[in-house]
Amino acid sequence: MKKVAYTLVLVLAGLGMFGMNAAAEDAAEIMKKSHLAYYYAGDDGVADVSMKIVSKRGKERVKEFIMLRLDEEEGGAQKYYTYFKKPSDVSRLTFMVHKSPEGNDMRWIYVPSVDLVKPISADDKNSSFVGSNFSYEDVSGRHWSEDTHTMAGDSTIDGKAVYVIESVPVEAYGGFARKVSYICQETHLPLVENYYNKKGNLERVFRAENIEEVNGIMTMTSRSMENVKKGGKTVIEFSNIEYNVGMKSDLFTERYLKNPPRKYVR
Amino acid sequence: MKTKIKFSIVGLLLLLAVAPVQAELYMDGFLQGLYGGRLDQNNPTATEQTASETRMQLRAEHFGDVGEFFGRIDFTYDAADSAGLEVELREAFMKFRLGSSLDVKAGRQILTWGTGDLIFINDVFAKDYRSFFVGRDDQYLKAPQTAIRTDFYAGKLGSFSFVWTPRFEPNRLPTGRKLSYFNGQGIVGEGYFFDVPTPESKFENGEFAFRYQRRLGNFTSALYFYRGFYKNPMGAVMVPMGESFMPMPVYPELAVYGASVRGPLFGGILWLEGGMFDNQDDPDGDNPLMPNSSVTGMLGFERQVATNLTANLQWQADFMMDHDKYVAEREGSGMYIRDEVRHLVTSRITRLLMDENLTLSGFVFFSPTDEDWYARVSAAYKYSDEITLTVGGNAFDGKDESTEFGQFQLNDNVYLKMTYGF
Repeated sequence: MKKVAYTLVLVLAGLGMFGMNAAAEDAAEIMKKSHLAYYYAGDDGVADVSMKIVSKRGKERVKEFIMLRLDEEEGGAQKYYTYFKKPSDVSRLTFMVHKSPEGNDMRWIYVPSVDLVKPISADDKNSSFVGSNFSYEDVSGRHWSEDTHTMAGDSTIDGKAVYVIESVPVEAYGGFARKVSYICQETHLPLVENYYNKKGNLERVFRAENIEEVNGIMTMTSRSMENVKKGGKTVIEFSNIEYNVGMKSDLFTERYLKNPPRKYVR
Repeated sequence: MKTKIKFSIVGLLLLLAVAPVQAELYMDGFLQGLYGGRLDQNNPTATEQTASETRMQLRAEHFGDVGEFFGRIDFTYDAADSAGLEVELREAFMKFRLGSSLDVKAGRQILTWGTGDLIFINDVFAKDYRSFFVGRDDQYLKAPQTAIRTDFYAGKLGSFSFVWTPRFEPNRLPTGRKLSYFNGQGIVGEGYFFDVPTPESKFENGEFAFRYQRRLGNFTSALYFYRGFYKNPMGAVMVPMGESFMPMPVYPELAVYGASVRGPLFGGILWLEGGMFDNQDDPDGDNPLMPNSSVTGMLGFERQVATNLTANLQWQADFMMDHDKYVAEREGSGMYIRDEVRHLVTSRITRLLMDENLTLSGFVFFSPTDEDWYARVSAAYKYSDEITLTVGGNAFDGKDESTEFGQFQLNDNVYLKMTYGF
């Protein structure tokens, strides 16, 4: 009798594990699709970006820049170029990132007032992107393989069917201990993300504020990140978006860091 | 004259009127008030104010189809100095491309290369220490040069940069009015300073700077060459004065050969740079009125030590050549005798707080061999997108009053700065 019970437990455990694996694969597959839809739309892209940072006291600050992106490999290496327009104290400053999912990213900044090119140590992906509530990783994407994903069910947000997926970092990570994503079943874009800390408290909430079709690609043209724990919210809006403009890789070199490519940057 | 002004105003208005249509002319800038005072009562400077100025910087930028223009002009009312309006064209250059791999930048421009953080070896471009020591923005450490710069990009082979500055542009050094300095005899205030004549305006007296740079994996490596003059009047020649001869300061002829490498390592950025300063006017160190040639090297490392906290450390060693001759020339004269190897250690710490709106920054230079140091601290608060408030200070000390930082030991100062960007 004991033996039977044992076998039963083992079989159930095996089934359970099998079932969990399948669900994990599904969840990981969805997160991969979501990552590609969100961070790898088209082969390249250019957009005007307006970032409104509202402090916990309600004070507003606005940053405007132009952002270029080139995908070297779908889901793999990417290059980013940012040209700041506002505020005045950072106008004409340029910033470049070579992002590789395997190793550390490379970042450079060019300060035109002193003609200075400077590489920046890119150790801390969790640090704020230019003082906003978004981190560097929020802007350029955290690779789906860095987290373990579990399907937590289906739901709806604003009448859209979503997958609810829980993600836990494989290695301890300062950005979050647990994340719950609500991924649109139709577009695979994340509609809401809740970030929890180690204590299990909700820290930050991401929201897709607006999604529309641009050059045939479903694009999030407005997004927000709210720090519910400390207060403060950042809204990023994209305009003049263009995909597949035929950007070349040599555009993401020191030559163009110092001499913004006027074809895209005006 | 009046008609001319009218015309230019009409022209400007026309330009502005046309601008929105083409959306190709951009203008912005800032207004800034800077007020600073010295802390040492014994400073022989003519004024207790290290700064008392209102500055307006206007920037204009225009893009054409093939080239572009950028201009930056400063209007400064400096109450602590001339008590008058000073106008300086900080930058005014055109940029264009010849073919697909040659970029040309011609006009008045700020030039920087090399790897150091406030340590310059192969960057033999003009610096402005009058600004650097009194709390002006970082951009004013660099003085503009009127130059033609060409950059040739040879793909994977790397890039070749060549800068020709037809007329030698020296460093801007303290004059004794706001900042005292060592003049050869002692620490002095106003009245001793004079603009040392720069080398005659001849083709051969221009400055030539060359850099070859290429990527090696994740590292950027470079070779440098410079031919021109020491940027400070470090040498002297004897000139007849009545019946005797007097030493007259000059900018000795200089050649610099160097190399650098910089890239990511140990979770941060590591850089290594070296160069040889070859005094063309006294190659063997025989002339006591001329600086000796030297070989100098620097190692630096920077990394983010915590979220919003970045720190770096640099170490520089400067080997004076023919040091024995230098010692023999100075022994018994009472003049300061430096070590054969001058060591300099620097560190910068930057802390960002309040959503990066408050920047705390500290930078220290310390030479264990010269026994002198210089510290800069500042706190800058971005009150809004337009308004930034900064408080800061500069402190110097040294055992001897003739060393690089020791000579400024009476210049400790604090300042307040308000900036409105538009």
